[in-house]
Amino acid sequence: MTRLPLRPLDPAARTHDLRVEPGPRLLSADAGRRHAVPTLDLATLVAWAEDAGLRGRGGAGFPFAVKLATAGRGRRPVVVVNAAEGEPASAKDAVLLARDPHLVLDGAEVAARALGAREVHVVLPGDRPATAAVAAAAVAARTGPRWRTSTAAPRFVSGQSTAVVQLLSGRPGLPVTAWAPDAVSGLRGRPTLLSNAETWAQLAVLARSGPEAYRALGTPDEPGTTLLSVVGAEGTTVVEAEHGTPFPQVLGAGEAPTEGVEAPLLLGGFHGTWLAPDQVARARVSRVDGTPLGAGVVLVQRPGRCPLALTAGIVEHLAGQSARRCGPCVHGLPALADAVVGMLHGREGARQRAEALAGLLPGRGACAHPDGTARLVRSLLLALPREIEAHERGGCSAAAPAVSPGRPSLRGVAS
Amino acid sequence: MSGRQARLRVDWPACRAHGLCHEVLPEVVSLDEWGYPVLDAQPLPDALLADARTAARACPRLALRVVEG
Repeated sequence: MTRLPLRPLDPAARTHDLRVEPGPRLLSADAGRRHAVPTLDLATLVAWAEDAGLRGRGGAGFPFAVKLATAGRGRRPVVVVNAAEGEPASAKDAVLLARDPHLVLDGAEVAARALGAREVHVVLPGDRPATAAVAAAAVAARTGPRWRTSTAAPRFVSGQSTAVVQLLSGRPGLPVTAWAPDAVSGLRGRPTLLSNAETWAQLAVLARSGPEAYRALGTPDEPGTTLLSVVGAEGTTVVEAEHGTPFPQVLGAGEAPTEGVEAPLLLGGFHGTWLAPDQVARARVSRVDGTPLGAGVVLVQRPGRCPLALTAGIVEHLAGQSARRCGPCVHGLPALADAVVGMLHGREGARQRAEALAGLLPGRGACAHPDGTARLVRSLLLALPREIEAHERGGCSAAAPAVSPGRPSLRGVAS
Repeated sequence: MSGRQARLRVDWPACRAHGLCHEVLPEVVSLDEWGYPVLDAQPLPDALLADARTAARACPRLALRVVEG
């Protein structure tokens, strides 16, 4: 497979393009101020997290209360702040960590106190040195539990939870098979409560205000807010949105033009899901209902660009990001990338090949990398069949075909 | 062993596509075009449990396990 030259899609590496809209809770005018860390017992914190419907903000959206209660059941647990954002299009955790590091650390400390954990590990993003430096300085100013920092390698799979636990164990930070959840047996066999930066910040907000105040925003089924990285033609905007907000409203609040609703949208980032324009109009910000939000990336394609070309570029990029440990990923991702490039060129049988490979990949690796890549391709097949058919006839709906004669490219996302 | 559902799980980084699991347990394990196992998503039927344990023992990479639940 030929590797294509890719423009970096890391918005944090292009901070001149990065904008932040103050939200009602996170990244507000109050951000950066230190508060006293509340002390709650484990039963109360579990009950509050449950009442607030708090879910992980890293991608899987797992209920936090379940994880917390599980971690509290065995030996003395370890708490981990996973700030290694693997998703290249995501900027929200880096922004949060750079602007309000203590809010993130407060959340981890609340959990550490409730669990009786003595150690809190903070895993910093290796590809965002400025953010990592701010966070490391904040960690150095903390007291209480023993705080430790590590730096993850700049790689898509570095943020996968088993890769993070490997890194903390002194081994290469690559995904391994988890025979038990981290919350049961993680770092050195101890129950390990690992969550991403935003999840910890949300927990801090909840611990400060209580569940009733937390539920004042969002919907009854999914209270509270979430951070989104809206990636559009002009760059990336990090916004805080209430759960249940219609997507057209989110896009209107950012720099995205109204055409955002007429163009397909990639929800969740490189491991995300394509939504057709009519689906975008109906979609709401949610991790429990409808299309998975993943890491909260909303990728608005520049009008007139080809979503098939973008997908081909992303899948080639993702194939190159494999840790090269699991056979189905080592062989399957390059083959899948080849099939999607074939679809872009209208090659006969490429669509069927992509369908078959995307169906075979999920659940066959130590981490979610092949699953996420397959999800992206399956969603393309489902949401944009007319675009695929146009390519099969040698056409393309894009006003300006991506790169003739059909070199896949990530251009048009953020260029 | 009754009551709980048994499944096969693969340690994917350890698997090197030797394919013995498919030889022992073709009812549950097929192979993809590169020789890596594709497992039936259903829980193992009781009748195949003994064969599944044999398949797990047969793996030269010890990359196959029978897990409960």
